[in-house]
Amino acid sequence: MSKPPSSRGAGARERLQHWLPKLVLSPSFVLVLFFVYGFILWTSYISFSDSGMLPDYTWAGTRQWSRLWSSWTWGIALHNIWVFGLLYIVSCTLLGLLLAILLDQRIRAEGTLRTIYLYPMALSFIVTGTAWQWFLNPGLGLERTMHSLGWESFSFNWLIDANMAIYTVVIAAVWQATGFIMAMFLAGLRGIDGEMIKAAQIDGAPTWKIYLRIVIPQLRPVFLSAIVVLAHLAIKSFDLIVAMTGGGPGNATAVPATFMYSYAFSRNEMGIAAASAVFMLAVIAALIIPYLYSELREPRS
Amino acid sequence: MSFLHIHNIHKRFGETHVLKGIDIAIEKGDFLVLVGPSGCGKSTLLNMIAGLDDISEGELRLDGERINDLHPSRRDIAMVFQSYALYPSMTVAGNIGFGLEMRKVPKAERRAAVQRAAELLQIENLLDRKPGQLSGGQRQRVAMGRALVREPQLFLFDEPLSNLDAKLRVDMRTEIKQLHQRLGTTIVYVTHDQIEAMTLATRIAVMRGGELQQLGTPQAVYDDPNNLFVAGFMGSPSMNLVTARIERLGGELVARLTAGSDEVVLPVVRDRAALEAWCDREVIVGLRPEAITDPSSANRQDGVIHEAELAVDLVEPTGADLYVVTQLGGRSINARMRPGSTLEPGQRARFAFDVSRMVAFEPDSEHRIRNPETVAPSEPAVVTSIS
Amino acid sequence: MSAASPVARRNPFARAMLYAVLAGFAVIYLMPLYVMLVTSFKPLTEIHQGNMLALPDAWTFAPWREAWGSACIGLECSGVHGYFFNSIKIVVPAVLISGLLGAFNGYVLTKWRFRGHKIVFGLILFSCFIPFQIILLPMARVLGILHIANSTTGLVLVHVVYGIGFTTLFFRNFYASFPDELVRAAKLDGAGFFTIFFRILLPSSIPIIVVTIIWQFTNVWNDFLFGVSFTSGDSAPITVALNNLVNSSTGVKAYNVNMAAAMVAAVPTLVVYILAGKYFLRGLMSGSVKG
Ligand SMILES: Nc1ncnc2c1ncn2[C@@H]1O[C@H](COP(=O)(O)OP(=O)(O)OP(=O)(O)O)[C@@H](O)[C@H]1O
Ligand SMILES: [Mg+2]
Repeated sequence: MSKPPSSRGAGARERLQHWLPKLVLSPSFVLVLFFVYGFILWTSYISFSDSGMLPDYTWAGTRQWSRLWSSWTWGIALHNIWVFGLLYIVSCTLLGLLLAILLDQRIRAEGTLRTIYLYPMALSFIVTGTAWQWFLNPGLGLERTMHSLGWESFSFNWLIDANMAIYTVVIAAVWQATGFIMAMFLAGLRGIDGEMIKAAQIDGAPTWKIYLRIVIPQLRPVFLSAIVVLAHLAIKSFDLIVAMTGGGPGNATAVPATFMYSYAFSRNEMGIAAASAVFMLAVIAALIIPYLYSELREPRS
Repeated sequence: MSFLHIHNIHKRFGETHVLKGIDIAIEKGDFLVLVGPSGCGKSTLLNMIAGLDDISEGELRLDGERINDLHPSRRDIAMVFQSYALYPSMTVAGNIGFGLEMRKVPKAERRAAVQRAAELLQIENLLDRKPGQLSGGQRQRVAMGRALVREPQLFLFDEPLSNLDAKLRVDMRTEIKQLHQRLGTTIVYVTHDQIEAMTLATRIAVMRGGELQQLGTPQAVYDDPNNLFVAGFMGSPSMNLVTARIERLGGELVARLTAGSDEVVLPVVRDRAALEAWCDREVIVGLRPEAITDPSSANRQDGVIHEAELAVDLVEPTGADLYVVTQLGGRSINARMRPGSTLEPGQRARFAFDVSRMVAFEPDSEHRIRNPETVAPSEPAVVTSIS
Repeated sequence: MSAASPVARRNPFARAMLYAVLAGFAVIYLMPLYVMLVTSFKPLTEIHQGNMLALPDAWTFAPWREAWGSACIGLECSGVHGYFFNSIKIVVPAVLISGLLGAFNGYVLTKWRFRGHKIVFGLILFSCFIPFQIILLPMARVLGILHIANSTTGLVLVHVVYGIGFTTLFFRNFYASFPDELVRAAKLDGAGFFTIFFRILLPSSIPIIVVTIIWQFTNVWNDFLFGVSFTSGDSAPITVALNNLVNSSTGVKAYNVNMAAAMVAAVPTLVVYILAGKYFLRGLMSGSVKG
């Protein structure tokens, strides 16, 4: 029914124009397919194989997985990530929200304060870890400083206390990320319709009540984003723990990320390392995919 | 052979059938205005003519040549967009000359052409500015300059004036009309503005839901609508559309309308033959507000005037006119009166109906009831599609 | 919103409290940086005396000199400067390549949509969020096969691959709000795929280019996981060197040198942050995905 394009030479050029976009996109897509999804498949397979120091493609069923789950260190790592993640998410969210609300009161020097609260986000976790390791150093850090300032009984040795060390990591991590969460909430607050609040003020509601009943409920989407972002950061956290405690004392601050690294590169237990990595991926996917889906879904018209 | 021939064009976006067989043919030099409610497919049709959207089915011919599969840049068509779409990083001269540059027109020639277009639109002094430094009206001119400079066979305009304020819109409308008359170009123009459509068009195409409702001269579409939709859509304030009963009264065919507790009986003079068949049945009759006036300003020369006394419900002065609201056929209707009238709500007044302008529609199908021989007598070539 | 509800605008006491709390937090946030800085200028003897908040009695640049040029990392005693340049060698190409690819991807995914464009974008985007542990083992092998294991080139490849997701996200979101009509107008004017990109879109993309560069620069510079997994010795980036210096040194710990080295590692991203904080924040916000 439809006739071919009228001029042949130009037709070839137009066909090229037609393929060009896909051609330009394809290198990235191929890289991602291979280096992300191919690798995910490979690692998944390894977690069901006999691999130790070298990959061994003999199928071993769930042997590596049961070794993983019976590992004492993996138990500690899971417990730690749970404690760390929960405290990290809750503290960052609450503190970030508090700072955002305080900053939202027409503060002079708001820009400077914001810059100060946010700068840790520009630092490497290794730098942060180094700094806090020194800051909380039991011999020479905060403790010693307090003593020299006259508070003789002050004692803070969490960093070397196997039961408490994970909390020092929480402190440093919260210090690093709160500013960012604050910025997210601040943007959310700035997006709220001021008319509604004026109306409530005219009705005579006290400020705290306005925040509790009107403003904070409207920040629901920001809470969701903040929690997803923080949970994702928590599960991936590796650098900070390596820099601050090296996973110690002993295994006290091991988390899945450090567990995976040490089984992969120090203990040469590829199979277990792969299984732990797949587990981490599964948790993050369960968290991120619904979030991405809801964030990127275009509203149907 | 017409200059632009849109033949049974369909457009589907996946499952949604957006254009359902559009047939339009216009001649060289015509100014075709597409009107219709939002979402009826006007922009889609325009984009298909430009080649920016694929044609799902049907044929598009420009000056005899089939252009369905021709790349947009080789169709010799220029388009002015609603948002003007000026390239933000280029100067005005760069914007206007870009199309020529892409066509590898030598620099000197290009500069001369840009200069000519700029003079025509009186924007020579803006050539070195960036679009961000222009006012809305100036941007509009640059967008037109970009289209003009290529001297295309066909211009497409997609609501070009809708982002301007009311005053500027009127000025630009006049300028577009003058340009069209001076250059004699062929234009397809989309608008929401009734007055723009009426003043600019040599042909109006009314669309609804992806279907063409009527194609004709502005006057034909306005006075002789094909169906209830076109009657209600064209004109502002819109046509009064009310229920009436066709009866025979003393040998004469009349339309009987309730008017509050009274009745008004209007003689049928238009499409009488066709309305014979509707005797003792209800139809919908349409009368434009300017066909219902005070007796002294009635047009007794051209029209057939019938007077009746009705209650005044509401008086709305607009300055130029005075709209009087009254009850007819169970509805509130608008009558256009002399601005000086001293009518007041509650009062009774005499209204003059120009029954020669009364049109009638079938209540169910909403089609026009029209004498067969009077189908657009001035428009033998008109293509219509009602389905 | 801020206009609507300034807490107790007319209550000076509440206002003062508000400022006090905010200032208190500011002090807490600045403290670690301050301590790092003053420590890096103190001689070791002063550090052992205690108060880490005190300014140095005797300012000294020696720790910085040592950190830069002669501190022992592993068996090598030439400071962090070599690793600093390693990081630069990694960052510059990684940022440029991933940025360019992201820009093209964003352009195609918004202005030249094809059937399945959403799935392609989803697959690319998800790659930003995977825990990188999942790719460490195969990547180590592939780098070995390509003979770029333990090299900055290898790290460039790694950072490009796993940076594409974010750069594509940034440019896609930016170009999604770029009017389609401009592209249509350019097509009618006869411009092709690359002309439209380079002449129409790119000149208007400065803000998102800045955001992308800053984001990628910060991420790549601050990376530790890839560095420590795929390099050792001479080819390691600065973060790995810093960690080795701080956590594996035997003998007396030279805290002042450690802090100076940490500052060296921190300065580039801090400078970027101070110069272009607005863009840094914008990157962070888009990185948390706002579709
Ligand atoms: N890319 C697309 N995919 C799916 N549906 C589309 C697409 N583009 C347009 N449509 C649909 O096609 C119909 C016609 O759209 P079009 O833009 O042509 O309307 P219009 O008459 O120009 O409206 P307006 O007056 O608001 O500009 C609309 O219902 C619209 O939702
Ligand atoms: Mg439209």
